[in-house]
Amino acid sequence: MINAIRKKIGVRILAGVIAILIIFASIIGWIGYREFTDLLLEQYADGAFRTADSAALTVNPDHIDRFVESGGKSSEYLASYFSMDQLCNSQDVTFIYVIRPDLTDYGHITFIISTINKNSPYGVYEFGFYRKTTNDEYREKYRALYEGTSERELVIRDKGYIQTDPHITAMIPLKGADHKTKAILCVQRQMDTLVAFRQQFIRKIVLALLVAAAVVILAQGGYLYRLVIQPLVKIKDEAERFADENVIAPVKLTETIRNQDEIGVLADSIDRMEEQIQDYVANLTRVTAEKERIGAELDVASKIQAGALPSLFPPFPDRGEFDLYAAMLPAREVGGDFYDFFMVDDDHLCLVIADVSGKSIPGALFMMVSKILISMAVQNGNQPGAALTRVNKQLCRNNRAEMFVTVWLGILELSTGMLRAANAGHEYPAICRRDGHYELFKDSHGLVLGGMEDMCYKDYEIQLEHGDRLFVYTDGVTEATDSDNELFGKDRMLDSLNHSRTATAAETLEIVRKDINGFVKDAPQFDDITMLCLLYK
Amino acid sequence: MKIKKSQNDSRLIIALEGRLDTLTAPQLEAELNASLDVISELEFDFKDLEYISSAGLRVLLSAHKAMAKKDGMKVINVREEVMEVFELTGFSDILTIE
Repeated sequence: MINAIRKKIGVRILAGVIAILIIFASIIGWIGYREFTDLLLEQYADGAFRTADSAALTVNPDHIDRFVESGGKSSEYLASYFSMDQLCNSQDVTFIYVIRPDLTDYGHITFIISTINKNSPYGVYEFGFYRKTTNDEYREKYRALYEGTSERELVIRDKGYIQTDPHITAMIPLKGADHKTKAILCVQRQMDTLVAFRQQFIRKIVLALLVAAAVVILAQGGYLYRLVIQPLVKIKDEAERFADENVIAPVKLTETIRNQDEIGVLADSIDRMEEQIQDYVANLTRVTAEKERIGAELDVASKIQAGALPSLFPPFPDRGEFDLYAAMLPAREVGGDFYDFFMVDDDHLCLVIADVSGKSIPGALFMMVSKILISMAVQNGNQPGAALTRVNKQLCRNNRAEMFVTVWLGILELSTGMLRAANAGHEYPAICRRDGHYELFKDSHGLVLGGMEDMCYKDYEIQLEHGDRLFVYTDGVTEATDSDNELFGKDRMLDSLNHSRTATAAETLEIVRKDINGFVKDAPQFDDITMLCLLYK
Repeated sequence: MKIKKSQNDSRLIIALEGRLDTLTAPQLEAELNASLDVISELEFDFKDLEYISSAGLRVLLSAHKAMAKKDGMKVINVREEVMEVFELTGFSDILTIE
């Protein structure tokens, strides 16, 4: 409960105000106390000195020696005594007395005349009473009066004395005709009136401050409550509500909080923040739905793309003249690589491998167009070079995205083993002669398809013998990259292929793929990896 | 990849350093789009270009086509690795390489 109260901002502000008021009141009270005391003390001292001056008239300083000789019994002494006593009782003083200090060190004093106000509770010293000087302060003052360095001295004893209540003692020298000090006349005045006055003053000041504090606290508290705390609590409640419910408030904060200050700005910010969060959440929901939709569509696209590549192996189970296998591993959902093969007629097998210069949806769209155009060109009876020349024209005509595709296209005459091929900017094919090794066949290259419209692609021929092997691939194989940015490269690919010289076409691809995986390890695959292998039996 | 451009009247020389691939090609494309209209001659310095991918080739091809209508484009100081790609893709047939 106490903690909960402490945590409230209003309580904290009020506590601060009260603390400041207390400090303020203490300073004012202390200054007032000091001023009041000084002023009153001055009046007290003035009165005491006036009495002292009057009392001095009752004593002839030059006769003091005779007073002493008479032992305080001469009629002149008694006359002085009675005059002084009368003065003492008629004035507001406690003691009037005449003393003589011993002049060696002022350490003792002898009372010569000593009168007392009858209303006071104290006793009086007899003539000739001899005692120690009260303290060093008195001693120094006696000395000053005797040596003539001072004409009046005042001692104030207003605290901490048990024997006598707070009092002042005014002292003046009694000087003879020779201007030498003969004795000291002292007037003691009690300060009870002063103390009483002062207590009353303090009581009044404290009371006044308490009233002022109460008024300030009430006024300031009310003002703060209306101006700061009430709106702050509203904002806090609204923020909590919004955090829980996530729904925009039916009534805006700025409609109930009219402050033109920082709190108004805060309220406005909260209003706007709620709207923005709502918009953001709505937007996020829409974007997420959109993303899910695109993801689902990409999934379908990749299925369509996969379906576009022949994937039934063996593809021509009744043809014993060759063994053929191909595969594509897309780097993303849909890739830009493709392979294709089909019988042009009973004796001609067409092989295609290609790499589109873009990935994802654009790459896949360009790939589908390229694949269909190539197969149409070949089916229409074109030789590889002519087919590529034709497809290039078609691709360039409306190539707004400025994409291109590298293609290796070959047509194998199964009866003779004559392979006619053309290369539009694609990787060199690898050929393995029977009993030999895989080697790159550095064929003549034309520009990639879709680059420049008026390009002409030329055929070349390779005579395949029974037992020869052909391997075509995309740069996803040679540029497979490990975590140190090293490329798989042509040499590793050829090594890998040479380990598979007795394997089937499908096994060859599997061996190369395993070697690539072993090389790149955990590094992500950036490019599609596509391979096609043909064994001419 | 770093792109250093130096222009001399209507002749722009672009020196590339590093790899021109799928990640960096858009950067070069943006630089070229900003200048192709105001120049008549373009030269690529490939002294420090280590690698070029098909995305990079695409940018070169666009620049080549744009400059073919003007005073042309040439590529100088091509390294062996990059030259291999140019030959493989047939770009060596259409680009002016010195």
